[in-house]
Amino acid sequence: METKKMILGVYDNPDKTYAATKKLLNSGYSVEDVYSPFAIHGIDRLMGIKRSKLSVAAFLFAMTGLSLAVTFQVYVSYFDWPMIIGGKPNLHIPTYIPITFELSILFTAFGMVSCFFIVNRMFWGKNADIIDIRVTDDLFVIAVNVQQNKTDIQALNQLLIDNGALEVRERTKE
Amino acid sequence: MSYESPIRDQLVTGGKTYRDVTRDITRPLENAPSKGWWIGFSLSTLVLALWIGATTYTVVVGLGAWGLNKTVGWAFDITNFVFWVGIGHAGTLISAVLLLFRQKWRMSINRSAEAMTIFAVICAASFILSHMGRPWVAYWPIPLPNAFGTLWVNFNSPLVWDVFAISTYFSVSLVFWYIGLIPDIATVRDRAVTKARKFWYGFFAMGWNGSAKTWHRYEVISLILAGISTPLVLSVHSIVSMDFATSLVPGWHTTIFPPYFVAGAIFSGFGMVLTLLVIAREVMNYKDYITEAHLDAMTKVVMVTGTMVGMAYITEFFVAAYSGVEYEQYAFLNRAFGPYWWAYWTMMSCNLLAPQVFWFKWARTTPWFIFIMSIIVNIGMWFERFVIIVTSLHRDFLPSAWAMYTPTITEVSILIGSFGLFFFLYFLFCKFLPTINMAEVKSIIPTHHEGDHGHDSHHNHSHETAEKGAIHGN
Repeated sequence: METKKMILGVYDNPDKTYAATKKLLNSGYSVEDVYSPFAIHGIDRLMGIKRSKLSVAAFLFAMTGLSLAVTFQVYVSYFDWPMIIGGKPNLHIPTYIPITFELSILFTAFGMVSCFFIVNRMFWGKNADIIDIRVTDDLFVIAVNVQQNKTDIQALNQLLIDNGALEVRERTKE
Repeated sequence: MSYESPIRDQLVTGGKTYRDVTRDITRPLENAPSKGWWIGFSLSTLVLALWIGATTYTVVVGLGAWGLNKTVGWAFDITNFVFWVGIGHAGTLISAVLLLFRQKWRMSINRSAEAMTIFAVICAASFILSHMGRPWVAYWPIPLPNAFGTLWVNFNSPLVWDVFAISTYFSVSLVFWYIGLIPDIATVRDRAVTKARKFWYGFFAMGWNGSAKTWHRYEVISLILAGISTPLVLSVHSIVSMDFATSLVPGWHTTIFPPYFVAGAIFSGFGMVLTLLVIAREVMNYKDYITEAHLDAMTKVVMVTGTMVGMAYITEFFVAAYSGVEYEQYAFLNRAFGPYWWAYWTMMSCNLLAPQVFWFKWARTTPWFIFIMSIIVNIGMWFERFVIIVTSLHRDFLPSAWAMYTPTITEVSILIGSFGLFFFLYFLFCKFLPTINMAEVKSIIPTHHEGDHGHDSHHNHSHETAEKGAIHGN
């Protein structure tokens, strides 16, 4: 497996992190990822992360739940075992609405969240690959890809520090 | 990258840094529990034992252990069920509806309110189970192919809708809560010094690494979860109200029930959130996170929803008078002036009159007073359900069937015991999970407050982070 070399710039402020990322991208560096204790708004757009398709998945799951609920209720109360209770009709759309609504939401929530875990490769008991132990506490890390013999590491380090980095480190990743 | 208005007050006071937030919120998790925690936990365990005893007694003896009779077939059980489900509405309301409205003050309270939701729904479900008399056949309302041929459930029945609504609400709330917890569990994982803590928090953190890509997706699903939870929370109590509203009993057969129940649920839910948070901010010293401004905002919600509920009470009376239906008119006169008049006026004064004190700023910002008021709200909302259920049933169309209902000691024990169950779970939550959403709170802390701190504290801070990094070999 190819080893990837990255330079990490550690910051203590989301505004500085945002500004530094912008500078790096404008200077033509390839920013691998930015790690932060909370979402920095706008940085996803800055890094060119495409809007997640999870909302489409959510809609499809909602439709699945909806059609399953309608099909099942109609099958049960009209085709499989029609019963007259209180003189109410067997095929009665209004009474299917509550359960259809609830099942649509149930399918959306569980389907979408499962997809979220799958695309992030998250699962229970996963051994986390943490870039820096402090990014879940109070620090922000910008990871910049370094290409062998191409990137001027000295200049990159200087750029990170000039934009307020507390420390700059190297890291290799398999 | 948020704009900080110079006019608005800070949502978190005390000039906290990100590190302060982490330290303050993880303190109860990483240290031995305080004396107060032990006292509260032991007390709630004792009361939980009462619940276990009384429920077991009911299951063994049967529903004869309760004060129900032929006329009043629903009483304490369903009152308690609706009471707890109502309380379970504030959590999702705070985290979902206030997220959609971009109300950032929700961020310090949503975690514990959601926990409260989950525990309250557990209490509510326990009443449904015990009220069945034979809890081992509790799976019957689920449409399963069964031993009677394929005799399915009756989809025209609101009781079946309720099964779907409550179970969906419980599971979706649990998912929403867990999603919100993941970044904070990762924070605890990365601070862990003991093996057990490292393992368990690492297990449930699911390898969270805080990358921008993950955060982006996280924000997308949080927004969608909020979007679907908002109609969900409104639908659940609407469906609970349909258990009554779709019947023909005078006093129940009312079209205003769904919105009126939802308002009541928000009212009682906020009442319970206030009860818990006024204590929590005192005991855990979170006054900088749950400030008086938070109490002020929540008490305003209590006042508005209390008044809405009060208006519904009066509307019911008006509609009964205006309808010209004798039975409907009698049902309401009987509520206010019949043998259960005391329950009716307790409800009226606790829910409509008492919250009006929140027009005054002093009442909205004085914690001990808010605490007393929150208890009054809870009492009032319990009586609302008691009034709706028992007073409508006890004098029906046939005067020869009229009866009175008195709870037995078993029923009272189950009610008191359910608070034990609730607080037992809540104390465990306070010990093992961060009670305030650290990631969200950090995002609302102003980013340029270096000036607030002396040079020394800043120096210590960077020294400590370097040291911590060294320990973990980073």
